[in-house]
Amino acid sequence: MSEPVLSIRSLTVQAQLDGETRTLIDAVSFDLGKGEILGLVGESGSGKSMICRALVKLLPSKTIAITGGSMLLSGRDLVQLNEAAMRSVRGADIGMVFQNPTSHLDPVMRIGDQIAEGIRYHQGKSRSEAKAAAIDILGQVGFPDPARQYDNYPHELSGGMRQRAMIAVALSCNPEILIADEPTTALDVTIQAQILKLLMDLRDSRGLSIILITHDLGIVAQTCDRIAVLRHGQLLELGDKRRVLSAPQHAYTISLLDSHPSMPEEGGPITAEAVIDAPPVRPLLEIDDLVVRFPTPGLGLFKGGRKHIAAVNGVSLRVMPGETVGIVGESGSGKSTLARAILGLTPLSSGHISFDGLDLAQQRKQTLAQIRTQAAMVFQDPYNALNPRLTIGETLAEVLQVQNKVPTSRIPERINELLDLVGLEREFATRRPRAMSGGQCQRAGIARALAVDPKMIIADECVAALDVTIQAQIIDLFRELKSIMNLTLLFIAHDLAIVRDLCERVVVMYRGEIVEEGLCADVFARPQHPYTAALIAAIPDIDPDKPLLRRLPGQAVPHLLTA
Amino acid sequence: MMPSATNATRMNLPWSRFLGRHLTLATGAGILGLFLMVALTAPLIAPYDPIFQNADVRLLPPALAHPFGTDNFGRDILSRVIWGARIDLQIAVIGVVFPFLIGTFVGTVAGFFGGIVDAIFMRLVDIILAFPFLVLMLSIIAILGPGLSSFYIAMALVGWVSYARLIRAQILVLKNSDYALAAVSLGFSRTRIMFRHLLPNAIAGSLVFSMSDAVLVLLNGAAISYLGLGVQPPVAEWGVMVAEGQSFITTAWWITLFPGLSIVVLAFGFSLLGDGLGEWLGVRE
Repeated sequence: MSEPVLSIRSLTVQAQLDGETRTLIDAVSFDLGKGEILGLVGESGSGKSMICRALVKLLPSKTIAITGGSMLLSGRDLVQLNEAAMRSVRGADIGMVFQNPTSHLDPVMRIGDQIAEGIRYHQGKSRSEAKAAAIDILGQVGFPDPARQYDNYPHELSGGMRQRAMIAVALSCNPEILIADEPTTALDVTIQAQILKLLMDLRDSRGLSIILITHDLGIVAQTCDRIAVLRHGQLLELGDKRRVLSAPQHAYTISLLDSHPSMPEEGGPITAEAVIDAPPVRPLLEIDDLVVRFPTPGLGLFKGGRKHIAAVNGVSLRVMPGETVGIVGESGSGKSTLARAILGLTPLSSGHISFDGLDLAQQRKQTLAQIRTQAAMVFQDPYNALNPRLTIGETLAEVLQVQNKVPTSRIPERINELLDLVGLEREFATRRPRAMSGGQCQRAGIARALAVDPKMIIADECVAALDVTIQAQIIDLFRELKSIMNLTLLFIAHDLAIVRDLCERVVVMYRGEIVEEGLCADVFARPQHPYTAALIAAIPDIDPDKPLLRRLPGQAVPHLLTA
Repeated sequence: MMPSATNATRMNLPWSRFLGRHLTLATGAGILGLFLMVALTAPLIAPYDPIFQNADVRLLPPALAHPFGTDNFGRDILSRVIWGARIDLQIAVIGVVFPFLIGTFVGTVAGFFGGIVDAIFMRLVDIILAFPFLVLMLSIIAILGPGLSSFYIAMALVGWVSYARLIRAQILVLKNSDYALAAVSLGFSRTRIMFRHLLPNAIAGSLVFSMSDAVLVLLNGAAISYLGLGVQPPVAEWGVMVAEGQSFITTAWWITLFPGLSIVVLAFGFSLLGDGLGEWLGVRE
């Protein structure tokens, strides 16, 4: 490695809370070489974002401070710099890209102006020069028509384009180092692949050094040169990507690697348990040519002037009792709408849904009553899905009481059973969601679904918001519950690897329609539809020798939002 | 990662440390508590009868016998201020509770059901807001006839609109939350979803607002009494006392100063309590 651009030595960050000192970053040291991509990997709370905030000295709270170590950037120690000097470092030397471009771009400023602003401030260029430079950068980050798109506002762009704009803002002052904090976590896989490719191209063309923070080992394997594994603020392992991935030294790294739901070799050994052993009985859920339309926003001033968008457009699906079906697709593909329609939470425009022989369109009241007592849903964001004012015990008790399936005297006992079932300690009954971790909350959410004693559970992206190791635990929990209680599971996810891992059958949705359906093993090994193939190809593999970019097809299937 | 830790410790904090951390809340509650004590023990601690007139001691400046002085009828100001606390606390509390209850109910129902229900209630709110607040208050009191109960009725009829709007806005957001959706999918009744799941999460903001509203109600009550439409003399009420003292303001400042100061301090206590509640309930998070 050449002379490092950035050299961090025993960086320590501490927080003062109630007179106690908590060490958030514990003497972390690493170098960043020129043109190198360093991956910072770890779960939430491991301190990976904190390191990067410490780098630009934008710590989230006044109680948190750098208490030791040094950060050498081209001969200057950033720890010693005052606020005024830091301002010239931020942007000019170190650019940052964040997870959620929507909240980090100014919604009322044209994206071109947001880029030009930094150029004028840091490089002292005139208005027209800055504009020309901004247009040039927009072109570099892949805007097809930069001169016109200079005038776009963030809300006019898709998620992927917004992230490109965010990168353009970070690049505007020609920084040496780019810090990318989970830059693709909020994006769909196909868009994620494009953004990662862009970052690598920029590294090549500008000699940019990049610190990439991520929880996805697949991304690290595909893009980074070296990997740093963090936990509890400590650097557990640092080394060359191939070395860390193939021969991890630390036990935690090994468990992190094991929990990565990687895709098996194409056409490789297929697990045979996927065969449905039940004899052909009546399907539990039958969907026939379902259409769900939403009015487009805006005033319908003239009769019939209001347009409707079909979020679900002619979907037919049969689910047998005890089956596990995965529904995959990108955001906007209609999979969540489908889930809500099945549970009767969204009115149907046309078509039929029948649950256990009852038709939702014809016998609405009766069918709804049936669905409410025999189907339950698990949501994506576990904190938002539980009433924050109720303890877990109260939440469960309420369901049991309303559903009236368990006598009142047996409710406390049943709550304990449910907590046992989802692997939560019984004392969690007295906790509120905010005093629990994401994984614990999601377990509580599953317990609530189980309190219904359902025949069917619909899990809508229920692991998307969780850390990888927790994801693996929740998936294991589902697998276990399935085997104990002959549960029918509709598992909605955008992560194909997880669906491949858990489900027998998979349904691929694209623009409100089912484009492909079949046994998991078949679909993933031999995708028939180009969209399915593109989705599969876009998954960053944990094996660095299976490069993401080679497999990335051209613009054969446009992404929903960019199209 | 931080909030979960602080939240867990917050629950089982010793009382003293709780107060130390929520100084605003503690100060506000302290001031209100003090006024409440004064109001409750008025017959015991007031040195004189508040409406007893004694021509011998007219317009005496503050002295040991009459710490706050006496007014033009020779009544002891201190005793009147102490007895006035009863009326003014009552005005602040009743003047807020009814608008709060009505507004909360209307806001919840309008926000939850939407459509025609929402449209009707919100147009009603617009109509009420279209009139200047005091004009509307005064006309209602004029119709009902002067007196405290008219004031309370007028407050209830006019004051609920702010609560309704606050709660409705919160409910509109919360009814699309996943836990509301979960509640629907679990077969909970609409009443249960509205009042057990949505309302407790929506109410913090208006609880805080009700404290600053209490200040406004207090001042309104004083203003109405000052205009002769609220509390009738000779009952001791701070607004009435200020009104009575105004003609002597250059010669006997104590008549107006002490009741006026009481209004200010009580109002201050309410706003501190409101701020403290806001901090504690995490409204600003």
